[in-house]
Amino acid sequence: MSNKYVEMGMRSPVNLTWEVTQACNLRCSHCLSSSGDPAKNELSTAEALDLVEQLHTAGVFQVNFGGGEPFIRPDFEQILAACHGHGIMTCISTNGTLITPELVARLGSNRLVAIQVSLDGAVRETCDAVRGKGVFDDAIRAVKLLAATKIPTSINTVLTTHNADEIPAMYDLAKSLGVSLRVSRFRPSGRGADNWESLRPTPTQLLAFSDWLAKSGDVRTGDSFFSLTSQERQGLGLNLCGAAKLTCCVNPDGHMYPCAFLQSDHFEAGDLRVNSFQEIWDGSAIYESFRNLRIHSCEECTRFDQCHGGCPAVAYHLKNDINGGDPECLERCVTSIAESRLQEAA
Amino acid sequence: MAAAGIKLHPSCRARQEGFGLLFYDCKGPRLLFAATGTLIPADYFATPRARGEFPDGITDSQKPALQKFVNQLLDKGFLHEQ
Ligand SMILES: C[S@@+](CC[C@H](N)C(=O)[O-])C[C@H]1O[C@@H](n2cnc3c(N)ncnc32)[C@H](O)[C@@H]1O
Ligand code: SF4
Ligand code: SF4
Repeated sequence: MSNKYVEMGMRSPVNLTWEVTQACNLRCSHCLSSSGDPAKNELSTAEALDLVEQLHTAGVFQVNFGGGEPFIRPDFEQILAACHGHGIMTCISTNGTLITPELVARLGSNRLVAIQVSLDGAVRETCDAVRGKGVFDDAIRAVKLLAATKIPTSINTVLTTHNADEIPAMYDLAKSLGVSLRVSRFRPSGRGADNWESLRPTPTQLLAFSDWLAKSGDVRTGDSFFSLTSQERQGLGLNLCGAAKLTCCVNPDGHMYPCAFLQSDHFEAGDLRVNSFQEIWDGSAIYESFRNLRIHSCEECTRFDQCHGGCPAVAYHLKNDINGGDPECLERCVTSIAESRLQEAA
Repeated sequence: MAAAGIKLHPSCRARQEGFGLLFYDCKGPRLLFAATGTLIPADYFATPRARGEFPDGITDSQKPALQKFVNQLLDKGFLHEQ
């Protein structure tokens, strides 16, 4: 990953997360966006389609749709079609409950769409404890429907203390269903912040996961674990936070943020009802501050070149300090385990 | 049948940036930063190109480096030959 060019600034994001609605039929206990009811003033169809035009003009390569549950939006397929009409690639994150054979047939007619079905455990009990009763079965049904098509499909699992031991089984499950596995880091935002202590993986689980990941080259992690992964694995992805440099987030009512995990007023970069997408990308002071963010407190660390201070969102939520360095990086996990062993021995 | 030649892989996109071309492969996802300046238009490989074909304005002395670059893009899968 060439940081030199990233730091020069991109004319627009490479990809972005667009939370098209806050409406959701589930109430997952880890939900980063605290989804449930729709937001008060969500973008209308016309506004959403106008945004697609703007993304096309800006040269955005890919839109990652999230929410809320994107398929709850009645015009969602229209928004997708507009993206595809411009050659914009799309990836949809879904809880799987609204996936029908008819919907899959319609989605499968397009080569630009990929789908991630969320599943937070290899067994029903573990997944449903986070996502709600019956969701495991619904998600598996959705994965089976999708796996029978050409749509690139993956299972996305958020690593928590409850499913950490099931990750190899998740891998086998995904393989047996003919799809790939993606693992996301649990981050303390939305309901995930409220339930952080009961869901967060322990440092020992994070290290075990890091070891497993090093041997599992075909597991995708997005930008989730660059602060935790071995050097060898890093050739597979990012080794720095891409917020405001390579990516950004649009929320259901058209506000823009550096990333999906930094959606408080403090990090608002702009409002698409007031300024254009390009104006906000080019002119937002918040984005500028992220482009200039240097985690000086981590610079002496031997792993600095591999993680550049890690995820500022986690540092912000846990330490109230965007510059504080990632509290769950490999170094800090090792130190924290060593300290607790010393305490036990004392 | 699609025209034969070297073309951007269907899972890839390219766009102009200040330093040159930015390539994106949604499988991965992977990025490739190419300090090509404005030598190659971003949409050049949207159309199939013959081996040894170059954009207008490329001088003979620039051709070997550009050919090497095209070969690298082929090796890395950002371009494919159909
Ligand atoms: C917020 S959901 C929206 C899309 C859809 N409703 C779903 O569940 O896939 C997008 C993805 O973020 C994951 N996610 C939710 N809360 C998270 C958190 N606190 N940290 C990291 N990922 C989280 C979900 O499991 C899901 O895979
Ligand atoms: S994680 Fe997805 S399915 Fe769960 S409550 Fe949030 S938006 Fe809904
Ligand atoms: S703040 Fe964290 S989650 Fe957001 S883009 Fe940066 S590394 Fe990723």
